[in-house]
Amino acid sequence: MSAIHFENVSKTSRAGVKGPAAAAWLAILGLPVPDAPNTWLPLEGGLIARLGLSEFLVEGPASAQLAAPISHGVYPVLRQDTALVLKGERLNDLLLETCSVNFLAIDRRTRPALLTSIAGVGVTAIPDGNELRLWCDCTYGEWFIDTLSSVANELI
Amino acid sequence: MKIMTCPVNGPRAITEFAYGGEIRPMPNPNTASDDQWADYIFNRNGAPGMKREWWCHTPSNTWFVAERDTERDLIMRTYLYMGEA
Repeated sequence: MSAIHFENVSKTSRAGVKGPAAAAWLAILGLPVPDAPNTWLPLEGGLIARLGLSEFLVEGPASAQLAAPISHGVYPVLRQDTALVLKGERLNDLLLETCSVNFLAIDRRTRPALLTSIAGVGVTAIPDGNELRLWCDCTYGEWFIDTLSSVANELI
Repeated sequence: MKIMTCPVNGPRAITEFAYGGEIRPMPNPNTASDDQWADYIFNRNGAPGMKREWWCHTPSNTWFVAERDTERDLIMRTYLYMGEA
């Protein structure tokens, strides 16, 4: 029994775009575009995150809209992430063990999307309520899950 | 823990960053002498002092410029590269 509940949501549909015209193109598609870098907005059954200045991740049913012909200055980003949802009373203890960002100090009302390292793996992390959503390169996926699970098991 | 501030992602542990080398103007390969070109390719300035360097925040792949005093081991400022004026 782990102190943290891991849900692997890698099979959720997602798509990404980047480029100087990406924000305007997403707005034309009718998607809400986060104004500030490294923030996110909820969508029907998913979310849209602005990663840095000009890259976007769309997850959920709305990601199908990104199959539309792209315009000049917009470039598709292949999103074959390992995606996880973590929750549990000891979630912050797991993060203290594996990450240098203090998630308790983050104002979740601003809907932050953090690009950081957890257990040495580059991740996009979105704290949402009592959950933490993580995306990382799928080639790290199995090792990443095993490593976080073993750390979580030591928290019991 | 040593902290560096990424211009986009904010203050982070130095372990999240990779060093990309000192910013050095490239001599014109069409007009530079062999000695000038060899100096640019093979030699580095290891003397301590103020340096302008490339650094990368690896989780977000954000490249930026850091001004560091390597004599006092201080990071003076960091900013996105917007081209030379």
